[in-house]
Amino acid sequence: MISWYVIGLIVIFAGVALTFSAFLKERDDVHKLILADLAEISGLAIIALTATDLAEALIIPGLVVGISELLAVSEIYLTREKLFEQPKKRFRIEVMDSAPALLGAILVIFGIVLSGFTGGAVAATGVIFYFLCKGQQERFALIETVSGYAWALWIVAFFTFMLAPSYWFFGVMLAGSAILAKVVAKMSLIGAMRGESNA
Amino acid sequence: MPDLASARIAGEPFFTLPFGDIVNYFTPYTAVLFGFALLFTAICIFSRPERQLDVVFGTDAYYAKGVTGKELRFRRFMAIACGCATMGAMLSGDVFNFTLFVSMVGICIIGIVAAVKSRHVLDAAYNYGIISIIATVPLFGGAAITLATTGTLSIWALSGMQAGMPLIAKILILLGVMGEGIAPFYAAKAELFRAPGAPYVIMIHVSSLLMFLRVVEILLTV
Repeated sequence: MISWYVIGLIVIFAGVALTFSAFLKERDDVHKLILADLAEISGLAIIALTATDLAEALIIPGLVVGISELLAVSEIYLTREKLFEQPKKRFRIEVMDSAPALLGAILVIFGIVLSGFTGGAVAATGVIFYFLCKGQQERFALIETVSGYAWALWIVAFFTFMLAPSYWFFGVMLAGSAILAKVVAKMSLIGAMRGESNA
Repeated sequence: MPDLASARIAGEPFFTLPFGDIVNYFTPYTAVLFGFALLFTAICIFSRPERQLDVVFGTDAYYAKGVTGKELRFRRFMAIACGCATMGAMLSGDVFNFTLFVSMVGICIIGIVAAVKSRHVLDAAYNYGIISIIATVPLFGGAAITLATTGTLSIWALSGMQAGMPLIAKILILLGVMGEGIAPFYAAKAELFRAPGAPYVIMIHVSSLLMFLRVVEILLTV
């Protein structure tokens, strides 16, 4: 009897083989980038197959490395093709004019209730939705500052765990709220920075 | 201090730096590689970039192209980051950490190459970027298969085991390092040697050479 792990590996490697065969045929650069991202995801799936807590801890650095490589390469693409102009005609439907404040607020509050990494992702979805609908003349420097302080608080929480373990509850609360703010800030910056002076 | 079972390959470890169960170590072999990376990082920090001179044919005149301002700072930062990632890969005692450091070296190399804003150089950087994204699949895949079959990622523990790392994982990791280490090929393709800013380009070659040397040591040990 072949174990489920081996079956999963075979399925994933079949997917990887499929992606690579698509690579051989593809000529368009953007499509190549998307295919590379697809391959990257299957790499994460191989880690996920291990199905332990440690695997979960390994997925996050893997994901971060993947996303940063993707951002770097797409930035190179933009520079090479000289794509600095914002697209003029944007996607508009009615709900984007009437609902963003309410939906954004609901998602952000729900994210704060969830707290931690998941909560950060949910709240960030709210913020991204708001930016998407309202356009972005916001002060990005402020968001970056919040993100920086959140990171510092996170580190403080870790030192609390190491140096004064009896204050663990304080540390947990600090780390939970800091990672929330950090994830919200970082994710809401993704895609919004394009066309700014630092692009 | 636990024994590194196959110490005959790289020599007896003389320094360990434990973080919980992740035990970073220096053997004479990896210490030499580490020192090499440190030396070239220092060169990147302290040296001034070379200026490229183009002689105008048939006359005594020449053009001097320098690297200045923003581009200089960016490339120097990327080269130093690349050196740090290489040093991390040299002393890592954990297979997954090693693969992470290797892919960080890849990202830094993308940065070093892409700082030159001309079309054919950006082309090469883009292609290398695609290769290095794809190379993370076998890298992380190899580490994950090692974890799933042996239950550990520590090189110390793996070297003591009877079975050790499965052959497929070794092949995958080697493939991944080959993918990330193909950078000098793209640097040559972009004729970066003829672009200004010499010491930073050297970092690309040093880091990929050191990655290959270290992965050979790891694969023979585990």
